[in-house]
Amino acid sequence: MPSDHIQGGFRKNTSGKRLSTMIMNDYLDLHRRASEGAFVVWIAIIVPAELFSGFENVVYGVPESHAALCAGKGAGPVLCEKAEGFGYSTDLCSYARIDIGTAFDGGKDSPTFGLPRPDLIISNNNNCSLLVKWFDVYHRAWGVPHLVLDIPFCYENQKDRDFRYIMDQFGTLISTIEEMSGQRFDRDKARESVRLSSEAMKEWKRFLGFAAHRPSGITAFDSFVQMAPILTSRGTQRLVDHYRLLADETEEQVKNGIFPVPDEKYRLLWDNIAPWHQLRKMSGRLAGLGANITSASYTYCIGALEGEYDPYEFDGNDPLAWLARLQNFSVCPHGLNLRRKAMKEVIERNAIDGVVFASNRSCKVYSLMQMDQMRYIREELGIPCVMIDVDHADVRKYSEEAAFTRLEALLEMIDA
Amino acid sequence: MKGFLDSLADLKSQGHTLVGCFPLYPPLELLHSFGLTPVVLWGLRQDITRLTRSDRHLQPYACGVARCLSEFVLSQGGEFLDAIFMYNACDTLRNLPEILQSGLEQDGSSLPLFRLHIPAVPINPPSASNYLEDQIWELTKELKKFTGRSFSGPAFQNSTVLYNQQRRLIGELEHLAATGRLGFADCADIVLSAGRMSVSDHIALMERTIRDAANRTPGEPAARIMLSGILPPPAALLDVMEQAGLMVVANDLAAMRRSYGYLPAASSDPGAYYEDLYSNHHPCTTILPSADRRLEHIMKTARENTVQGFIFVGEKFCEYEHFEIPIITQMLAAEGVRTLEMEIGIDDTLNLDAHRTRIEAFAEMLRQETGRSRRDKDAV
Repeated sequence: MPSDHIQGGFRKNTSGKRLSTMIMNDYLDLHRRASEGAFVVWIAIIVPAELFSGFENVVYGVPESHAALCAGKGAGPVLCEKAEGFGYSTDLCSYARIDIGTAFDGGKDSPTFGLPRPDLIISNNNNCSLLVKWFDVYHRAWGVPHLVLDIPFCYENQKDRDFRYIMDQFGTLISTIEEMSGQRFDRDKARESVRLSSEAMKEWKRFLGFAAHRPSGITAFDSFVQMAPILTSRGTQRLVDHYRLLADETEEQVKNGIFPVPDEKYRLLWDNIAPWHQLRKMSGRLAGLGANITSASYTYCIGALEGEYDPYEFDGNDPLAWLARLQNFSVCPHGLNLRRKAMKEVIERNAIDGVVFASNRSCKVYSLMQMDQMRYIREELGIPCVMIDVDHADVRKYSEEAAFTRLEALLEMIDA
Repeated sequence: MKGFLDSLADLKSQGHTLVGCFPLYPPLELLHSFGLTPVVLWGLRQDITRLTRSDRHLQPYACGVARCLSEFVLSQGGEFLDAIFMYNACDTLRNLPEILQSGLEQDGSSLPLFRLHIPAVPINPPSASNYLEDQIWELTKELKKFTGRSFSGPAFQNSTVLYNQQRRLIGELEHLAATGRLGFADCADIVLSAGRMSVSDHIALMERTIRDAANRTPGEPAARIMLSGILPPPAALLDVMEQAGLMVVANDLAAMRRSYGYLPAASSDPGAYYEDLYSNHHPCTTILPSADRRLEHIMKTARENTVQGFIFVGEKFCEYEHFEIPIITQMLAAEGVRTLEMEIGIDDTLNLDAHRTRIEAFAEMLRQETGRSRRDKDAV
């Protein structure tokens, strides 16, 4: 095993090191271009960022991604406390509290110095409808226009009517930016960006595919960390190059018999947002038990249609149509049946022994189907499951010992 | 007043076909025009005392509204309801339809489910209004299939007239409470009973109450307050407010003013009617396009009613409401209006003493400020 490989943890190989540089450069570039006069947009994670490539000088920041980064770097509690000091309830999503704490205190304590002040805020309501209220906070405090993309929730696959409705709203989004920024939208540039996103998603799925190997070539924790540039470099050649490198390196390691949990006894699936403050601790402690969380609904949904696993490939035609069809590429906009369908496929593909349902009080939309989802997985598929309490970004609401008592019980159930 | 379950039992015994609706602003008129009786599954905390069924499906950080309505549907929905209707609002509620269906299936039962997506963007652009209209017509087709009755424009128009009469009377009732002729607890009880009565019975109840209260002598409050939140606080807390001399002269409660504050023009065209209703809805945190109007509306209401104190009764775990409170507090403070922020969780009806102390302290503060203001005026 190479000296830079930590058991059950992160790959400090070339793609791991490249990731850190890439994220740092993305944030530096965002601040630099904003200071030089670029039109700055803040977006929710599944707002189609590829469209911004169709403009000459539009940059975007993703508050959710920034909040996850802060939580991963240990700044979650201090930033949450600032928001709470401004009067925001401790029951609000910890991403929101971190972001509000950062934004209203001038970026202090954020590893990226926050995000540059936006000219336009764009949210959508299918992934997380309360995000609209979160973004409204800035809209009101700063007087920045807030455009909402109204994307209907999917109890079944996207309907034609919903697709047309989304396409109409993309038109509004483009004309709004054109009017506000004075820049013209170039569809060919957006098409190229969409092509690159589609390519990147194929490489991403190739990387995730190594979870099917026994022992697994990856951990879900690798995928949590490596998903970051999807939110900062979407629709770029560097994202394609990065994920190709990541998948190639993983392939090489598997060929060479290098695995994150070489004595893997238990192959687990994680359901919910990553526990950003626990990545290293949790993966390491699980590895010590011979357990590897190989797969996660949080990362296998990316690039796929609702209820699916394989990437939805771009056909080279209308970039807006591809983006509209893919407006549900996260788990949260999916109803129970769609979530079951995708999870069943991954359990079978990756020979999963047990499922960890992380009940996350900061994300009700992800969590408030888990009890029925868990019952289905346990009773219909015969796979042992456990539910642990987690908050994705506020470590104050997490108890490691309580979580591991249940995780160890899950391993015992698998053994039984 | 009868409780929720007794009221539903009465309706069933009278032969009503009941559609349990959530959240608060369903297309009542459309359901009514098909001969159905919509009941709104909201504010059931007084009637649902155990959550054993709901707790098998929802984590404890779901709000009390969602947990109580789930408990009702899962434990007694099959007995009382003939169908369920829901539209999109918050993240918790939009997850419920399949959870409820799954729970019912586990018991070998099921209920027909109707859904509607209300645009979360301003409805005036054609894309949103066409989208809403399409869905309304699709819903009418589903209702036709369910009831065996065809849609009727005149029947729908009659329903819109009836529901507007209800909205007007609720306005009168709230005015009586605001002038001290009717206790706010009684007013709230009657307004909330709209969700568990037929609309014509509810109108008759309000007409009787208004006749009785209209000639009473107006009250003189120690302090004038505005209540905000999803639901009115428990009656015991409203009594504490009254005893402390606080008079509710205006409200921004989702189950009261926000539900009935806007009167759309009567119409035989459901597409146009609901475009009007949802576009111009009384501002509410859950009707996203109305959000920009909400703050100014609260300020205007506070000014017009010379409100001295604003009491926010937060529903525990309702992010929609809690996100807006810091800025509302700031804006009110700039106009000299004090704010008391409370939070009511699922168990708080059992232990209200902490809230009692805070309300009494708030009332005392407002009284002192009023006295100081009067002395300052006299000195001038």
